[in-house]
Amino acid sequence: MASEMRVKCQLHDIQVHKAAVHHHHDSARECLDDPEGRGKFEVNGNYAFNPELGESPSETVAGAVECSCDHGSEKMEELVTALANGLPEKMIGAEKAHVTFSLKEDEEEVVSDDGTAADCESSAHRLPAIAEAVKSRGRGGGHCPRSREAMKAMVHNQVIYEQPTSPHAHLLERSMSYSTVEAQISKDLLKQMQTSLFLNQTDKDTSQGQSHDPPHPSQNAETEANDTDVVAGSVTDSDDKSQTETEDRSQTEGEKTESESEQNDASKSSEEDAPADPSQRASVPKRALCLPRPFRFKDRKSKDSEKVTDKPPLGPSAGRGGKGKVPPPRQSWLLRLFESKLFDMSIAISYLFNSKEPGVQTYLGNRMFSFSEMETDFYLPQLLNMYIHMHDVAEAVHPYLLHRCRNSVEFSVNAAWILDAFSSDCLKPNWKNSQGVKLKNLILNEELRPMPAPKVMMSLHSPTGPSPLLSSSPPSAKKTHHRSRSEATAYTDSMLLETMPEAPRPRKKKSELSGSLGRLDRLFMKHSESTSALTNSSCTAAGDLASGRAFDSGCKCMQSSEALINSLTGRQTPCQCNAPRLQPEVEFVQALMNIGSKLQHLPTKELRTSRLIAELAMLNLNLPARVWLPVAEDYTHHVVRIPHTQAVVLNSKEKAPYMMYVEILQCENPLTSTLPSKMLDNTLRFTRSEEDLTHFNHLNHRANGSPRPEFSVYGNGHEFDDADCWSQEDDEIMSLALRCRSSDTISQISTESSTSADSKDPVYIAAGDIRRRLSENISAPKKKFERDPEDPSAAALKEPWGDKVERIRETSPYGHLPNWALLSVIVKCGDDLRQELMVYQVLKQLQTIWAIEHVPLWIRPYKIVVTTNDSGMIEPVLNAVSLHQIKKQSKLSLMDYFVHEFGPSNSEEFLTAQKNFVQSCAGYCLVCYLMQVKDRHNGNILLDAEGHIIHIDFGFILSTSPGKNLGFENSPFKLTSEFVEVMGGQGSDMFEYFKILMLQGFVASRKHSDKIMPLVEIMQTGSQLPCFSKGVSTVRGLKDRFHMNLTEEQLQLLVDNLVESSLHSLTTKLYDGFQYFTNGIL
Amino acid sequence: MSTSDPQPGKEKPHLLRKASNQKMALKEKIVQIYEAFFQGEDPSYGNPNFWDELFLLKVNTTFLETEIEKLNGEGLVNMKDNFNLLFFRATECLKQENPIRVVNAMQTLCALVRGIFRKSHGSCGFDVINLLVGFDSAETVMQTLVECLNAFLTGDHPSGLKLLTLKFLLILITATDNVSQNTLLEYVMMNSVFEAVVQILGHPTQRQLLGHDAALVLTLLVQYRKYESANPYVVKLSILDDELALTGYAQVISVLLADFNREYEKQSTEVHTGGWFSALASMVGNMFVPEERQIELVRAKDSLLLALYEAIHLNRNFITALTHSHTPSTPATPPSSPSPPSSPGADPTSNPKEPPPLTLETASASHPTSLLVTFLQYSSIVIQDTKDSIRYNNAKLCFIILTCISEDQYANSLMHDANMTFRVPLHRMPMRHRKAKVEISPPLRPLVCSLLDLMVEFVMSHMMKTFPMELYLRGLGIIHRVLCYQKKLRVRIQYPWKELWTALINLLKFLLSHETQLAKKHNVFHLCSKIVNVFNLFITYGDTFLPNPNSYDELYYEIIRMHQTFGNLYSMALRYTTTESEHKDSAARLTNHLVNVRAIINHFTPKVDSWAAAHQQSSLTEEQVLEVVRGNYDTLTLKLQDSLDQFERYTEKPKEVPFFTNLVRSIICDVRKSVSNLSTQHQELLQELSTIS
Repeated sequence: MASEMRVKCQLHDIQVHKAAVHHHHDSARECLDDPEGRGKFEVNGNYAFNPELGESPSETVAGAVECSCDHGSEKMEELVTALANGLPEKMIGAEKAHVTFSLKEDEEEVVSDDGTAADCESSAHRLPAIAEAVKSRGRGGGHCPRSREAMKAMVHNQVIYEQPTSPHAHLLERSMSYSTVEAQISKDLLKQMQTSLFLNQTDKDTSQGQSHDPPHPSQNAETEANDTDVVAGSVTDSDDKSQTETEDRSQTEGEKTESESEQNDASKSSEEDAPADPSQRASVPKRALCLPRPFRFKDRKSKDSEKVTDKPPLGPSAGRGGKGKVPPPRQSWLLRLFESKLFDMSIAISYLFNSKEPGVQTYLGNRMFSFSEMETDFYLPQLLNMYIHMHDVAEAVHPYLLHRCRNSVEFSVNAAWILDAFSSDCLKPNWKNSQGVKLKNLILNEELRPMPAPKVMMSLHSPTGPSPLLSSSPPSAKKTHHRSRSEATAYTDSMLLETMPEAPRPRKKKSELSGSLGRLDRLFMKHSESTSALTNSSCTAAGDLASGRAFDSGCKCMQSSEALINSLTGRQTPCQCNAPRLQPEVEFVQALMNIGSKLQHLPTKELRTSRLIAELAMLNLNLPARVWLPVAEDYTHHVVRIPHTQAVVLNSKEKAPYMMYVEILQCENPLTSTLPSKMLDNTLRFTRSEEDLTHFNHLNHRANGSPRPEFSVYGNGHEFDDADCWSQEDDEIMSLALRCRSSDTISQISTESSTSADSKDPVYIAAGDIRRRLSENISAPKKKFERDPEDPSAAALKEPWGDKVERIRETSPYGHLPNWALLSVIVKCGDDLRQELMVYQVLKQLQTIWAIEHVPLWIRPYKIVVTTNDSGMIEPVLNAVSLHQIKKQSKLSLMDYFVHEFGPSNSEEFLTAQKNFVQSCAGYCLVCYLMQVKDRHNGNILLDAEGHIIHIDFGFILSTSPGKNLGFENSPFKLTSEFVEVMGGQGSDMFEYFKILMLQGFVASRKHSDKIMPLVEIMQTGSQLPCFSKGVSTVRGLKDRFHMNLTEEQLQLLVDNLVESSLHSLTTKLYDGFQYFTNGIL
Repeated sequence: MSTSDPQPGKEKPHLLRKASNQKMALKEKIVQIYEAFFQGEDPSYGNPNFWDELFLLKVNTTFLETEIEKLNGEGLVNMKDNFNLLFFRATECLKQENPIRVVNAMQTLCALVRGIFRKSHGSCGFDVINLLVGFDSAETVMQTLVECLNAFLTGDHPSGLKLLTLKFLLILITATDNVSQNTLLEYVMMNSVFEAVVQILGHPTQRQLLGHDAALVLTLLVQYRKYESANPYVVKLSILDDELALTGYAQVISVLLADFNREYEKQSTEVHTGGWFSALASMVGNMFVPEERQIELVRAKDSLLLALYEAIHLNRNFITALTHSHTPSTPATPPSSPSPPSSPGADPTSNPKEPPPLTLETASASHPTSLLVTFLQYSSIVIQDTKDSIRYNNAKLCFIILTCISEDQYANSLMHDANMTFRVPLHRMPMRHRKAKVEISPPLRPLVCSLLDLMVEFVMSHMMKTFPMELYLRGLGIIHRVLCYQKKLRVRIQYPWKELWTALINLLKFLLSHETQLAKKHNVFHLCSKIVNVFNLFITYGDTFLPNPNSYDELYYEIIRMHQTFGNLYSMALRYTTTESEHKDSAARLTNHLVNVRAIINHFTPKVDSWAAAHQQSSLTEEQVLEVVRGNYDTLTLKLQDSLDQFERYTEKPKEVPFFTNLVRSIICDVRKSVSNLSTQHQELLQELSTIS
C-alpha cells in the first residue's frame, strides 16, 4: 500500500519537479524577465516537513518523508493549500496525506489530513526526545521543526523586508507580485475550504501540545500581506536580542533534522530495488528548490482536471499570512538569525558548512542570491571547496553558481580556476566528489551562457525536466528513487510533448544542455558527452602566440556595422555569435603560466630575465585583447600592452616567479566594449609630420575597421618624400626625455653651455667641474637600488610606483589615453597558492574586523588568484622591498636604513614611519601568531616606502613549518631586536604602544573569531594542503590560539609573554642564520 | 621517353630535320602546338575547347623560350598577335579553378615574359609590353593578372602555387637589368600586390616557405623608380604598421642571416679542427677555396641586406621588430644537415622559424635572440675581409644599416635598455697577435655594447695599406651617434670605454705612420678630426654618460700616456696647414679640435713629471698617475667646442644613389638567374602538388 501510494505520489511530483527545473532556469537566467520566478525563496516547504518526518523510522514514514521532500520542493499546490493554511504539522506527519495528493483531489486531501492527524500527533511528540538525543553531537544549524510555517512566513517576509536594501530590486518586485496574486487566489480557495481546514488545524494544534506552535487560521491572513512587513521587522529585532538563544535552539533542531535525514536515507535505500531507467537515473534531480507558480499551473492544467488548476499554490503566501496575523511566539531561532540584520555571508557560509539539513542548505543556497556579489565572491574559495567536497552543499549552491557563471565571465573564470585547484586533491574522482570537476568542465566548455530570449527557453525546456522527483532528498539516497520515478518521468515526458507540440524532439538534446540548470546529474552526463566539442571547434589561432590572435575568441560581432555604431556612440556590443567567452582570458593566463614554466628550466637569473622579456615580447604581439588581469581590483579593462623590458624575475631558486607590469585601458566591460586598436611602440612619439598623421590614422582605421573619412584625406595622393620619412624631431623627444629624467639637473649646464657656444667667445669650463659633477652624480644618495643581474627585482621594486608609472606611461603608445593605467602582477608557476589564498582571506577579514573595532593595526592583504594547484598570480605589494634586499643593497641596519630613508629619528617623517612600522608590526605579529606563519626570514618580510612591514609568502602556516616541522622557529612570531630598535628599544613608548596594539588587536580578533574560523575550517575539508597536515587539530589549535577563555588581563599577560619569548627566541636568530647560510638571505 | 623530355633547344630542329615519323610521333603534343603557334597560326581557331585543353598539358618552357630566342626582330613583331593571344588566354586561365591549368598558365606566362624580355634586351620597354600583351588591352589584362596573383597569394591555395606566383612576380620584376626601366612594373604599381605580400610575411607558417621570396618581391618593387616618382610600395612600406607582418619580415631576414652565420661557423670550425699544423699547412693552399665559398655566401645575402636596409630606412616601426627578441628557431649548434642558404624555400621543415611549442630542451639550450643580434653577428663576419669589392660593398651596406639604426632614437633606447640583454657572438679575425675566436657564451649585455665592440673590432682589424677609408668614416659615425644619444639622454652604460680609446689611439698611430701614402689618397685629417672629436665628447661631456668617476680619470690617463701620438698628430696637422695643399682646411680644423687634448697633456705632463721627480721614481704606475690626475683637475680649464654632438643625418638620395643602383642591378641579375633555374626544376613538383590538392 505504502509503496503504491508513493509511486503515485511521485508521479504527481515529477511534474511538479519539472516545473521546478524551469524555475531554476528562470530564476537564474531570467530573473529580470520572469516576474514569477520567485521560487528561490520558497524553501520553506522543504523543511516544513522534514523534522516531523524524522520521528518514525518505519517504512511508511519513509514514504512520507519522500513525499514531504517533494512537497518541500513545492510542487504540490494542493498540499500547499493545506500547508498554507497553517496546518503544516498535520501534513508532515501524514503519510496518508500524500496518498491523497496522488489522487489529486484537494478536497479529499483535506479530509485525509484530518484522518492522519493522529499520526501526526504521535510523531510530533516523539520529536523533542530525538532532538535531545542527538543534540550532544553538537551539530549546529538546522531549524525549528515546530515553526516550519513560521519559517515559511519568515522567508517571505524576509524577502519583502530586505528588499529595499537588496541590490536585486527585481526580486522584490517578483515577490510582491506573487504575494498579491497568491493572496487573491488563495482567498477564493480558502473560502471553499475554510471550515474543514479550520477544524483540522485546531485539532492538530491541540494535539501537538506545547512543542508545536499553534497553527493559526492563517488563510485569512493572506490578504493582510502588507502587515507582515511590520511584523517581520519586529520579529527581527527580537531576534537580534536573543541571538545566542537562537543558536542554541537551532542546534537542537539541527540534530533533529539530521536524525531525520538519516532515516530518509534508510528509507530510500530500501527502495533501491525498484526498476529504474538508467537515463532517468542520471537525470535525477537532487532537489527542486522552488517552483514558479505559472509552471505549476500549467502542469496541473496539462495533467489534471481544470478544477485543480484553480487551486492556487498557497504555501508561501499563506505562511506569510499566518505569521502576519499571529507572530508565532516561539519561532525558529535559526530562521530569525537568518533573517536578522546580522546575517551575512560569513554566517551563511558557516551554516552552509555545518548544517546537514537539506532545508537549511537549500535556504542558504537561495539566500545567496540576495547577497551582494562582492560579499559572496569573497567566500568563493570556501563555497567551491564545499562544492567539491560536500555533495549536499554542492546541490544547495549549484543554482547560485550557475547563475553567476552565466552572468559573469569573470566569475566563471575564477570559479573554474578555483575548482581546478581545489579538486586536484581528489585523487580518485568518484560520484561523490566529481561534481567539482564536472562544474569546472561545464564552465570551461562554455556551456553556461547567458540565456537566449526567454521565449525560446520556455519551449525548449519543457521537455527537459522530466524528473525533479528527488529534490530535497539527500544525495546518498539518490539511487533509490530512480525506479519509481522512471515510469513517472516517462509519463510526464510524453505528456509534455503532447501538450507542447512546438517543442520538437530533435531539439530536446540541445535544450537539455541549456535547460538542465538545477540538475547536477544531468549536467554531468551532458558534459561528459560534450567535453571536447567546444575546445575543438574553437578557432585555431587561440593560444598560438605566433599568430597574433592567440587571445581572440573569433567573435565577429565586434566587426559588425552595428558594433561600429556602438563603438562610436560608446555603447556596448554584446556578442551574439557563439564565440567562446572564457577562452581569451584562459588562454592569456595560460600563456603567462607557460612562460613561468619555461623559465624554470633556465639556470641563471640573467638567462631567465632575458628569456622572460623575449617571451613577453611575443605575448605582446597578441595584445590588445579582450583579456583582463585577474589580480586587478575589477576586471573592467582591456590589457593592451606588456612593457616587456620592465618585467623581472623574482628571487627564487627553483621556481621562477616573475613580476611584470601590464598596461590596461579601463572600459565598461572587457567583453562588450570596443577593443582598443593596436598602437605600435614608437608611433606616437613621432607623430608630427603630415606623413605621420597619415600613418597614425591609417593605423586606427585598420584596426577598428572603421573608416574615418575625416582623416583619410591624408591617406592617398600624398606625395611621398624620402627625406620626410626620415626626419625625426629629435629635439622634441629629447626635451621630453630630459624632463622625465630631470633628476640630475646639474649637468644641464653642459648642454646649455654647448648651445651658447654659438657665440664667438670661446666658452671655458673647468675639468674639475666635469669630474665633480660626474662623481656627485654617481655617488649622489639615491633612492634607487643599483641594477643587479643576480637580483633584478630589487631595483625594479625599489623604484617608487608613481615614478615607474610615469616612466612607462611616457614610453607607452597608449600612455596618453585618459583611461590608461599600469598594473603589476607576480606570476607564480610551480607553487601552490591555495594557502596564500586562505591567508589572504584571513588577513582581509582581520583587516575588516580591526577597522570595525577601530584598532589601528595595519596589515596589507595582497590579492591571490589561484589558477591551478601549482600556479597562480599574486598582487605585488607596491613600493616595498624585502628586508633582505634592503640589507644587501644599502648595507645598513634596519634602524640606519630608516634614518637614511626617512630622516633623523626626531623628524616627523621618521616618526610617522616609526608609527607605521609599529602598527604594521603589531598587526603581523598577531597574524603570525594566530596563523602560525613560519619561514619568516628577511626575504619574506617587506618594508614599504611608508615604513610598514609586510609579511609575504605564507607557504608555511598552521600545521606546517620549514625543515619538516622540526621546530626551527618555535617563537610565537618574528620579533627581532632590530625591529625593537626601530620601535625605539624595549621600554620605549612606541614599544609599549606596540604591545597595547597587540592586545587591542587580539581582543578585537577574538571577538570576531567566528568570522575567521570558518574561513580556515571550511578550507580544511578534503584538503591535502600541508597547513592542514595535522588534521582536525589544526583547526582546534587555531581556535585555541584565540584564547576565548582568558580574561582581558590574562590576555594582556599572554601578549607580554608572547612578545618576550619572541624577542628572546633563539630559534629566530638560528633560522635567520640558517637562511643566510643556505640561501644567502641576510 | 628521352624525346619527351625537354631537350636543350638546339637539338630539337636536329630531330625534326631527320624527319622520322617515329620521332615526330614522340614529340610532345604541346611542342606541336607551340610550333604551330610560332608559324603564325592560331591553333584555337575552330576549336572552342582548345585553350582549356592546352593548359592541361605540361608546359615546355624551355622550348617556348628558345623558340622566342630564335626569332629575329621582325619575326618577333610578326608574332605579336599570337603572343598577345597566348598571354591573354593564360591570364584568363588563371581565373579558373583547376590547379593544373593555373600552374601551366603561370608557367606559360613565365616563359613568355622571360623569353620576350631576353630578346628585347636593352630595347625600350614599351615595345615589350606591346609584344607581350598589346597596348590596347594591356591595362585590363595586367589588372586581371595582378588580381589573380593577389588571389593566389592571399587565398587558400597550396603553397606550391603561392611559391610559383612569387617566382613569377620575381621574373616579372627582374625582366630588365635596371628595374626602373621595366615599364611592365608600372602595372604592378597600379595594381598593388603589397597587401598580399605583407599578409604572407605576417603568416607564421607561410612565411617559412615563402618569406624569402616575399621579402625579395617587396624589396625589389620598392626599388622601382624610387628616386624619381612616388612609388606606392615605398609609401606603403614606410607606413606599414602591422606588427605581425613586420615581425615576420624581420624573422625572414633573421633566419636567413642566421643560416649564413651558422654556415660560416661550421666552416671556420672545420678549418680549425684539423689541428694546428694542418691548419697552418693548408693555410696557403686553402687560401682561395674557402674564400670563394664565403664570397658566394655573402653574395647570396645581398638581397637580404637590401631588404633589411629598406625596412629600417623606410619604416620606423620596423625598429621594434628589429629588436623583437624571440627564441631562435634552430639550435645554436649547426644542424646535421644545414640547408643551403640560397634556397630557403626548399626546406620548410628544416627551419621551423617559430615553433610555438618549443621542447624544453631546446628552450633551455637556446637563448633569446633578435634580428639585430643576428645582424651584428653577420656584420662581424662580413667586415673581416673587405679586400674584395663585393665583400666591401656588403660591409658598406652593413655599416649603412648600422648608421640608420644608431641614428634612430627608438632603436637607441632599445639598444641601451639595461633590461634587454642579449648574447651576441661576434667573430674576430685571426691576426698575428691573436687567434680567431668567437666567444662561445658571451655575456648578456645591452645591444649597444655589442655594437661598440663591433666597431672597436673593426677599427683594430683594418689598419692596412688598402685603407677602407669610407668604412672607417662610417664606423666612427656610428660610434659618434651612439655617444650623442648617451650624452643627450644621460645614459650610462657599463662599457669598458678604455678599449675604445685604445683602438682609436692605435688608429691615430697607424694614420701617422702611414701618413705619406694615405694622405695622397684620402683626407686623413677629416678622419682624425672625427677621432679627436670622439675624445672631445668624452672630455667635455663625460659627466653625462661615463659610468663612474674613475673612467674619467682613466681617459686622462690614456691621453697622458699617449701624449706623443697626439703631439705628432698636432705637428702633422700643423705641417699641412702651413703648406699649401688640398687638405689645408681639414688640417686646420684638426688643430682646433686638438685643443683640449693638448691642454690636458700640457697641464698634466709637467705635474706627473714633477711628482715623479719628487718621489724619485723614473716610471710611474697607473695608480700613481691617476692620483696625480685626480689631484690636479681643478687647475685645468677646457674649451667647450661647438657642435660636438652634431652629426649629419644619413640620407640616401644624393650620395648613395649610385651605390644602391649598382647594388640593385647586381641583385636583379642574381635573382634572375635563380628564378630561371628554379622554375623548370619546380615544374613537376608543382604539378604534383596541384594535382594532390
